[in-house]
Amino acid sequence: MKLLHTKRAAFAAVLVATFGVSLGARALAFDDEEKKGDESEEAEDKSVPEEEKTAWFAVTHADIYTGTGEILRDATLLAKDGKIVEIGYDVDIPGRDYYTDVPEEKRDFRVDVLDAQGMRVYPGLVAISSSGLLGTGGDFRDSIDPFSSNMVLGLAAGITTTGQGRSAVKLKRYVPHEPPLPYDFDGIVVRDDAFASMSLSSGAAKRSLIEKFQRASQYLREYRQWEIDVKKDKELKEPDKKGVDGTVLEVLEGRVYPMFRAAERADLLNVARLAQEFGFRPVIDDCREGWTVADELGRAGAFAILSARDRRDKDESLVREGGSSIENAAILSAAGVQVAIVPESKGVALDGIVGRDIMHLPIEVDFAVRGGLSEALAVDSITRIPARMMGIGHRVGSLEVGKDCDLIVTDGDLLHYQTFVQYTVIDGELVYDKQQELYFAHIRPRPEVELAPAAKLDAGEDAPAEEPKDDAKDEDREEGEGGE
Amino acid sequence: MRSLSTCLLAALALAAPLGAHASTSGGASANAPAPIAQPGELGGRGLALRAAKILTVPLEGRQFVDNGVVLVKDGKIEAVGSARDTAVPAGYEVVDLGDQWLMPGMIDLHSHIAGTFDINDSVYLTNPGLRASTAVRPQDRKMEMGLAGGVTTILFIPGSATNIGGQGILYKTGSADYESGTVRNPGSMKLAQAGNPERWTINPGRSFMNWNLRNTLVRGIAYAKHWEAWRNGKGPKPERNPQFEVIRSLYEKETQISTHTQIYQVVNETLTLVAEELHLPVYIDHGTFDGWRAAARAKSLGVNAIVGPREIDVPSYGFIRWSGSNPEKIGGCAAGYQEAGMDMVGFNTDAPVVPQEELQLQAGMGARYGFKTDRLQAVRGLTIVPAVTAGIQNRVGSIEPGKDADLLVITGDPADPRSSVERVYVDGQKVYDPSIQRRRW
Repeated sequence: MKLLHTKRAAFAAVLVATFGVSLGARALAFDDEEKKGDESEEAEDKSVPEEEKTAWFAVTHADIYTGTGEILRDATLLAKDGKIVEIGYDVDIPGRDYYTDVPEEKRDFRVDVLDAQGMRVYPGLVAISSSGLLGTGGDFRDSIDPFSSNMVLGLAAGITTTGQGRSAVKLKRYVPHEPPLPYDFDGIVVRDDAFASMSLSSGAAKRSLIEKFQRASQYLREYRQWEIDVKKDKELKEPDKKGVDGTVLEVLEGRVYPMFRAAERADLLNVARLAQEFGFRPVIDDCREGWTVADELGRAGAFAILSARDRRDKDESLVREGGSSIENAAILSAAGVQVAIVPESKGVALDGIVGRDIMHLPIEVDFAVRGGLSEALAVDSITRIPARMMGIGHRVGSLEVGKDCDLIVTDGDLLHYQTFVQYTVIDGELVYDKQQELYFAHIRPRPEVELAPAAKLDAGEDAPAEEPKDDAKDEDREEGEGGE
Repeated sequence: MRSLSTCLLAALALAAPLGAHASTSGGASANAPAPIAQPGELGGRGLALRAAKILTVPLEGRQFVDNGVVLVKDGKIEAVGSARDTAVPAGYEVVDLGDQWLMPGMIDLHSHIAGTFDINDSVYLTNPGLRASTAVRPQDRKMEMGLAGGVTTILFIPGSATNIGGQGILYKTGSADYESGTVRNPGSMKLAQAGNPERWTINPGRSFMNWNLRNTLVRGIAYAKHWEAWRNGKGPKPERNPQFEVIRSLYEKETQISTHTQIYQVVNETLTLVAEELHLPVYIDHGTFDGWRAAARAKSLGVNAIVGPREIDVPSYGFIRWSGSNPEKIGGCAAGYQEAGMDMVGFNTDAPVVPQEELQLQAGMGARYGFKTDRLQAVRGLTIVPAVTAGIQNRVGSIEPGKDADLLVITGDPADPRSSVERVYVDGQKVYDPSIQRRRW
């Protein structure tokens, strides 16, 4: 039962900043004193320079939703230098389980451990497109502001990677170092040229595109034949590449998925036919009437981008079904189309009307669930599937050994409307902590770290035993339990 | 508010029908052309709905029943209780809803989508005579969407281009015709303070607008007093003035002022002018931004708050001359009212600003941003709170014997967007069922 999912469950959210650098301080080191305390030991000759140390990062005691179907309860995820190296049980953490005898200053590694007792870990969310998280649009390098509040709000929303312009980029905000490091613009790119936009919108555009595909596929056939023939005849010249469109060639070679904007049935069928004729998998943006031709799109191996709350009435002059449907995502998925979901508004909306902008990706997805999409596919639609569409599924979108350690820690079911992202981690580095930022810290604040049990035991015998007040308790239960 | 609402109840029970468009008490089925009445409808067999959980949400007392049954007869709720203790009379059609839930139809006290959109005639700065009821178009597409989202009753009101846009109408979205759909007309008098009316012809400022508003209301009250005196045999029969008739209804506590008021300073002025000075029944409608900072005062004056379409308060300097609080704290508006001790807090959409069918998300977002839900307040804010606030709790807003059988079958927590409305009954008549028709929402 979903009602009033309570957060009473004791999630002793403990940020254990162990073994050296204080994680909390590094995440939000506005506090100079603390930084000095932690990192002012540079003078010592023997110590390994910070940047040469191996960076270990671990999340422990978490319910890990890997995004591949598995859920590991009370498990550990370990990452080394930003890549996941182990997920499971009995995971040994260096400095905690071994190398404990090596004094801290002599260690050639550092370790951050995040105790996520009672919380959940999901892959970082992937927004196939957004606006304003990484500057004003276009190439992010032109306008990104790593200090922008939008970036913090994006991380608070659990987004770790987004498409912008033609790139797939991580939301890696400025993380204070001592001395400060220059912002690594290129280091946050997962892939440039992640998108190849194409158009079938007009007759001329369609003819031109078909010609390009014909020319490029002809070239590919010639080239492959040449590859065979050249083994016999070393003198044979490579086929002529003249007139071959580079992007179309990349599409035919499967290096990038072409993205079409098509909402209506006829346009969708055109894309599907083209894809089947030339053998590529199209990404269809704004796939509004996809549900009316789901089987055709499924056979064409299409990906779809849609907003679950799209609203367009059926064209009454047509006999066929049409317009938007809240069941769109569910119907497309059942037909084998991989669906990525985007919110109605792709920017950060601070005008007070909430639940429909990039800060509420899981809320948008909830409406697809309302329309019949399974919850697992709903999570996929904002993690794995958009990652695949951008050709970066081998790096992000799910938690698997070898992939980037981009994850979020939540205080409950990702799809529940009250759930907040407590921590966001990118490349094994904590980049957002709800309690350390100003925006949401006051909403259902995370309980403070419990005192050591020993301290409580000492208070023990003399402390007056709390008499349960039966009446009051029963009343409470009666009224409150409706929610459980 | 409790005493006020009791007062309103009494007033409603006794009052003669208001205005030309009098409400009917029979409900939708009274005029339904159906040749054979279905179970639950007027004249039909009884209907027994069994559900895993019934959110009854009465104003006081226990808020839900597990494994319950609701008996519906002649469009009204006959009984509600646990399946074990509630005997189903012979001849009733029994519908087992399995693990789905039942709840009362939702009520939105700020909506503009019951028909055509010509509800914003800005003739004067105050237009108490204009009626939104003239724009109603039964079974309008947007109302049907709202119905699919579980919204069965709306307060359809004029826009906020002037300080008094006119009169709203309380209307059932699922009704077949205007007569059966009208719950009460006038449903409210729409007041809009600051904000939008500042764009009126001469760009008036707040001091003039408040003076002009006071002027209209004071004259209207004087008009109402003339009628009161005549009724008591203490004066001549006054001449009817269509501009002031609605203020007479207000004076007689037959309807309320629904106020588009949303900033601390402005909400304060609503409380001072309307509630404290003129003693007219009023509630905060479209309550957003940092209006919640006046919550303690609102509570002491018995003024309820209906919150939306904005559910979070992100103060930024300059935006409609905000009074401003912590510039980087994102707070919930409904939570703000609740934290000041108000329990009569409801939600609205301002449809089409937020689509009518997303009323339940308004409660969800309120709850996300700090509104406590442990006593079903989110559900109450969609049902009994708006019903009491608008003085129609004798007909709608909870599942209690004697009330209209406006019922929703829902798959779970109403504040959760994943919970879908699987069936809607209005006056005992099934008006939406996505298992046999295209799912609208």
